[in-house]
Amino acid sequence: MNSQARIGLVTSVFTFVAGIWLFLAPFIMEYQRVGEDWIDATRNDMWTGSVLMAVSALAFFLFVAYALRDAAVRADERRREEEDS
Amino acid sequence: MIKYLFGMVGALGGMLAGAWLMLAPFALAYQLSGAAWADPTYTDFWSGLAILVVSLIGLLMYVLGLVGELRRRGIIEPREEPEAQQAQAADMPAVGGAQAGSAADVEQILLPLVNAMLEDMQDQRRRREGNGGPQGAAPNQQLDPERRVQQ
Repeated sequence: MNSQARIGLVTSVFTFVAGIWLFLAPFIMEYQRVGEDWIDATRNDMWTGSVLMAVSALAFFLFVAYALRDAAVRADERRREEEDS
Repeated sequence: MIKYLFGMVGALGGMLAGAWLMLAPFALAYQLSGAAWADPTYTDFWSGLAILVVSLIGLLMYVLGLVGELRRRGIIEPREEPEAQQAQAADMPAVGGAQAGSAADVEQILLPLVNAMLEDMQDQRRRREGNGGPQGAAPNQQLDPERRVQQ
């Protein structure tokens, strides 16, 4: 895996963490009291945070899965070449 | 190769989410325009900005990775490496040498013509000297390369 892909994966992890932050932010920043009806800002943060977490997690796992598949294909090709030679 | 596309789509989604977070306080009207920013506005705006910037970096990285992969597979023409450029620069004297070789060929072709011209000039000089006039010596000195060498 090249360095660009690694940095890309780190940014995906960051956006996932940002999604968690958006879930917690209304309560940490105390503009949403626990037990009370959610205000518009809280609802927006929850929805945006959940979408962000889902998208970044999906991108991360699909990227890793396809990177592993590519690595497996390359390893198979190398093994076949060694057997042929 | 398709893995980069997944990464790009994810990063693009992150960018859109970041942009939405920056606009949401005004779009959903929980921040009145002109009023001092409330806590939710600060949180959403700065979180959105950070997500937007990081996702943009991620998108650029995935695009660069995809371009690198396409180059590696030969789909995009590989970029000329600095070493290759140096090697090309080192080859330039060889090209210059070829040019020098062609110049030597031209010289070989022109040599009989130059010799004929020199003989003709010497004949003219002898004829003038035979006529006994040293008047024409000065112009001949300029023209006769042999005499110039002797001087």
